[in-house]
Amino acid sequence: MSLVAEAFVTQLAATEPWPENAALYQQLKEEQILLSDNASSLAVQAFLQMCNLPVRVVCRANAEYMSPSGKVPFIHVGNQVVSELGPIVQFVKAKGHSLSDGLDEVQKAEMKAYMELVNNMLLTAEITHPRYGSPYPWPLNRILSYQKQWEVRRKMKAIGWAGKTLEQVLEDVDQCCQALSQRLGTQPYFFNKQPTELDALVFGHLFTILTTQLTTDELSEKVKNYSNLTAFCRRIEQQYFEGHDKDSSTTVAARSAKRSLLR
Amino acid sequence: MAAPMELSCWGGDWGLPSLHPESLTVMAYAKFSGAPLTVNTINNSWRAPKGDVPVLISEDIVISQPAKILNFLRKQKYNADYELSAKQGADTLAYIALLEEKLLPALLHTFWVEAENYCSVTKPWFASRIAFPLSLYLPGRMSREALNRILLTRGGPPLYSLTEVEAQIYRDAKECLNLLSKRLGTSQFFFGDTPTTLDAFVFGFLAPIYKVCFPRVQLQEHLKQLPNLCRFCDDILTCYFRLTVLGFAYFNEIKTQAIYDYLRAVLQRTCMLHMGRYVTVPTGTRDEVPLECNRSGPAVPGTIIRYSFM
Repeated sequence: MSLVAEAFVTQLAATEPWPENAALYQQLKEEQILLSDNASSLAVQAFLQMCNLPVRVVCRANAEYMSPSGKVPFIHVGNQVVSELGPIVQFVKAKGHSLSDGLDEVQKAEMKAYMELVNNMLLTAEITHPRYGSPYPWPLNRILSYQKQWEVRRKMKAIGWAGKTLEQVLEDVDQCCQALSQRLGTQPYFFNKQPTELDALVFGHLFTILTTQLTTDELSEKVKNYSNLTAFCRRIEQQYFEGHDKDSSTTVAARSAKRSLLR
Repeated sequence: MAAPMELSCWGGDWGLPSLHPESLTVMAYAKFSGAPLTVNTINNSWRAPKGDVPVLISEDIVISQPAKILNFLRKQKYNADYELSAKQGADTLAYIALLEEKLLPALLHTFWVEAENYCSVTKPWFASRIAFPLSLYLPGRMSREALNRILLTRGGPPLYSLTEVEAQIYRDAKECLNLLSKRLGTSQFFFGDTPTTLDAFVFGFLAPIYKVCFPRVQLQEHLKQLPNLCRFCDDILTCYFRLTVLGFAYFNEIKTQAIYDYLRAVLQRTCMLHMGRYVTVPTGTRDEVPLECNRSGPAVPGTIIRYSFM
């Protein structure tokens, strides 16, 4: 979007307060959603919870196609649709809620840097574990999943990950988790006592890795090695998701109540 | 003592030891950690580069990506990071990810995709250093790969046209430069007074933007408004990559100052006398040092010195 268009949208966003019927759209839980999309969706939900903004989660098979940028999750607020964590954070900021106001410039720089690290390492590592079923009938489900795989493979090749073996990917994930663990240390959140976008993002990714069943457990084993990261996930889950009003079949909280982080 | 290590990478110009960001990163790290690398720049007499430059060759081991090369150097006990705390190590990783996500697309675009820059500067420069007939094909391929990478990683909807993608990546790059400048502040290097891996990476990405003279230079102009980053690049160039008035020769170790002075005097004389020929100059060590003068006269750009030290 050009600068003018962005400014216009921000202006529009700032005039209305947050409505009650905001909705977050993602793909179907069991059959369809990819690991990385699940992580992104969870990150957005955590972020909105941290800002105390109510949102209900709606699962649709064609969520990807409904989204303005082709990526899930996206939120539908009033008469605007915003997708992906970055733009959603800015949109929420325009409405007057921000989690990172208390940070100084250097800390904001660090926060952005860590968010990129998480996106780089964990997101792409999650993509290398394919798990794309489909609720559509045959042959559409085959075609769509091949298309998705092909798209992912092209992207991997462009950034140079195509030659990486599984061990190298796991090593990268381990390095990333080590960095996050060292940065977190013994603090409750990454930047002192207040949660920020970074906490939401990290929670989304780590929780997904820890709780989703895959063919192998190697990814989650890597994360479990760092006890302060698992404690961090549990803390955020308890604080922001279990007090949430359950819309039983579709919320994460209901799902997380059925799973335990220690398995 | 470790086995001798050789690095093949792209050469330099405009005051830089190399134009290629990844090659620069590896060279800078080698200087910071004191690793004795022999640097071989790619020119017409080399066999064709396979596209994964820089490459480190040590005995039988061939390593190709900067991250892996740096890991290898660390395992050989050439470590520039041993004074860093765990948290600083974590910050290093994060900032490197930031550079690759936000700054690299704009850098690739300035070098390889922007039509004026590519046709007038990048393509002739690279083509002159690759043997014919590969010089007709390889720059084009590198340009296509760069465009591909930009579009695949940044070009999804709602950015539907290349101009919108370009606007977005330059905005991101400028924001990244601002963040780096704020993080650097007034200190000499990113973590105190000694340079580390992060300094090598930042230098590798910033120096080409800073020094190479392109027709379209919006990123360079933005960088020049951040004086602490410019000072950072200049400091590393003068302290670790000593540049002589003769042109762009550079040396591996600062402790070879005596040999450096001797060679410089000899080079001045021999360049003027032996134009375009091979000259060998005996040094204080056991090795002979072949000098190749590409062009004649003093103060010539493009003079390459190749040698090795034990």
